[in-house]
Amino acid sequence: MKTRNDFHPALRAFVYAVMILFTVMTIAPLAWLLISSFKTTTEFQLNRLGWPQNPTLFNYGSAWRLGKFGTLFLNSLFFTITSTAAIIVLSVSAGFAFAKLRSKATPILHGSFVIGILLTIQSIMVPLFLLVNAVGLYNTRIGVLIPYIGMGMPIGIYLCTEFIKGIPDSVVESARIDGAGYFRILSTIIWPMAKPVAITLAILNIAGVWNEFMLINILVSSESLRTLPVGILRFSSALSSDYGRQFAALVIGMLPMVIFYLIFRKQITAGVSAGAVKG
Amino acid sequence: MKRSQLRAEERRAYWLLVLPGVLIYWSVVAFPTVFSLVLSLTNYNGGRIFGGQGVSFVGLQHYVRMFRDQYFWISLKNNIYIMLVSLFGQIPLGFIFAYVIHRRLVKQGDFFQTMIYLPSVISTVVIGILWQSFFSPYGPFTELMQKFIPHWENELFYDPKKAILPVLFVILWMYTGTYLIIFLANLQKIDPSLIEAARIDGATEWQVLTKIIVPCLSGVIVTTAILAISGSLKSFDLVFAMTAGNPARRTSVLSLYMYDNAFRGAPNYPRANAISVFMVLLSLILIWIVQRTEARFGGRE
Repeated sequence: MKTRNDFHPALRAFVYAVMILFTVMTIAPLAWLLISSFKTTTEFQLNRLGWPQNPTLFNYGSAWRLGKFGTLFLNSLFFTITSTAAIIVLSVSAGFAFAKLRSKATPILHGSFVIGILLTIQSIMVPLFLLVNAVGLYNTRIGVLIPYIGMGMPIGIYLCTEFIKGIPDSVVESARIDGAGYFRILSTIIWPMAKPVAITLAILNIAGVWNEFMLINILVSSESLRTLPVGILRFSSALSSDYGRQFAALVIGMLPMVIFYLIFRKQITAGVSAGAVKG
Repeated sequence: MKRSQLRAEERRAYWLLVLPGVLIYWSVVAFPTVFSLVLSLTNYNGGRIFGGQGVSFVGLQHYVRMFRDQYFWISLKNNIYIMLVSLFGQIPLGFIFAYVIHRRLVKQGDFFQTMIYLPSVISTVVIGILWQSFFSPYGPFTELMQKFIPHWENELFYDPKKAILPVLFVILWMYTGTYLIIFLANLQKIDPSLIEAARIDGATEWQVLTKIIVPCLSGVIVTTAILAISGSLKSFDLVFAMTAGNPARRTSVLSLYMYDNAFRGAPNYPRANAISVFMVLLSLILIWIVQRTEARFGGRE
C-alpha cells in the first residue's frame, strides 16, 4: 500500500497527542476510582493517589449490603428486560404495518414518532410526573414501564419501518395469495427477517434504560422499586465522606455496562450510528 | 374473497398492529405536552386535578414571571454553553478522530475508538459523582495541581463564575466518542476507490479531505448538528449528580430549573409547566431551523 502520510509530522504528532490525552482522560479517572475502592476510607484520606497499602474488599461487601444492591440490580434488570422486549414487539408490529399495509393514517402516525426522535423527554418530565400521579400510577412498576416503553418507541418505529420497507413487497404479496393472514405473515416471515434490527434496538434500549435516572427518580419513591442509578446517587449522598464505600458503589454501578460494552463493542457502535438518524 | 373484504381485513390488521404502540407513545409523550400547556395557564398546584378545589385559568402570568426570574436566564445560558461545546468541541473533535482513524494516520485506531467511546456507556450518575470526587478539594485533581503550583486553592465548585467549567469539560469528555462513531460509520460508507484514485492522481491528503470527504459527509455533519442541538436540552442527570445546580444555582440548566420548581422546596407546578412548554417549543424551533438550513445547504447521505 502506498504511504499515506504526507501530513506534516508535527501535525501527526499533535493528533496523536490529543488522542492519547483523551485516552488517558478516560483511563485515569476510572483507574483512580478502581484503585481507591480497595482502600479503606481512613487510608484514602492519607493516601489519595497511590496504590493501596493493604488492599481490601471490605468496601464492596459493606456497600453491597448497606446500599441494598441486590434489590437495585434486580429492579434494573426487570425494567431493562421488560421494556426492551415490549419495545421490540411493538416496534416490529407497527413498523410492519407502516411499511407494508396501506392506510391514509400512516403519514400522521409515523410522522408523530419521527418528531419524537428529537423531542427531548427531559422537557416533559414534570408534566409526565403529574400525569402518572393523576392516573394513580405513581410508585408502581407499570407507572415506570409505560414511560420507558413510550420513550423507546420513536427510534424503534423509525428503524423497524425503514428495515421492513427493505423487504420486497413480493414476499408479503405471495404469502397473501397463499392465503396467509397479516399476523401469520408477521410471525412467520417478518419476525425472523427482522432479527438484525431487533438486535440494534435491544442494544440501544438496554444501554438507555439501564442507565436511566431522571424519570425513575421522580416516578418512584419506594426503596423496593429503585434501580441502580437512583440507588447509587442516594447511597453516595448519604455517605458523602465515606469515600471507600462510595467508590466501591460507583465501581459496582459502572461495571455491568463496561463489561456489556467490551463484549458487544461492534454491535453497540453499529447500533449507535444506526440510531443517529435525522428527523 | 371480495376486494372490499380484503381491504377491510387489511385495515383491521393495520389498526391492531399500530394501535398499542401509538397509544403508549402518545400517552407518554403527546398527552403530557398538551397537558402541561393547559396546566401552565392555570393556577393548578398539586392535589386532585378533577374534583377537589376548582382550577381556574390565569392567562400567561406564569410565563411572565418565568421570564423575569434570573435563574431562568442562568439556566438558559448554561444550556447554550452546552450547545456550543457540542457544536464546536464534540463535533470537530469527533470528526478529526474519526478521520485519522479511518485513514489510518494513527496506529491502534480500534483501541483509541474503544477508549474514547467508553465514557458514554457508563451511567451518567456514576460519571457525575466520579468527576465531582475527582475535581473536589480532596480529589486527585487538587493533588496534581498542587504538585505544579504549591498552595493552589481548589475553588472549582465554589466560584459561581467558573463552576460550570468542570461540567462542560465532562460533557465534552463524555460525548465526543458518540460523534466519533457516527462519523466513522459514515466514512466507511465512502467508496475507498474514490480516495485511492484521487491519491494516484497526485491529490494531497488535504485535498482528499476537503474535496472528497467533507462534501460526502455534509449530510452527516448536519445530522450531528441536529443531534448536538437537541441533545443540549437533554442534560439533566450529569448536572444533577455532579453539582445539583450549585453553587447558588449557577450551574443549573433548564431541565434542572424545571425540576427545582416542581420538587425542591414548595412546589410551583404552573411554573414548572411553563418551563416545560418553553423547552418543547425551543426544541421544535431549533429542529425546524436546522432542517431548513439542511434543505438549503445539506446534501443527502
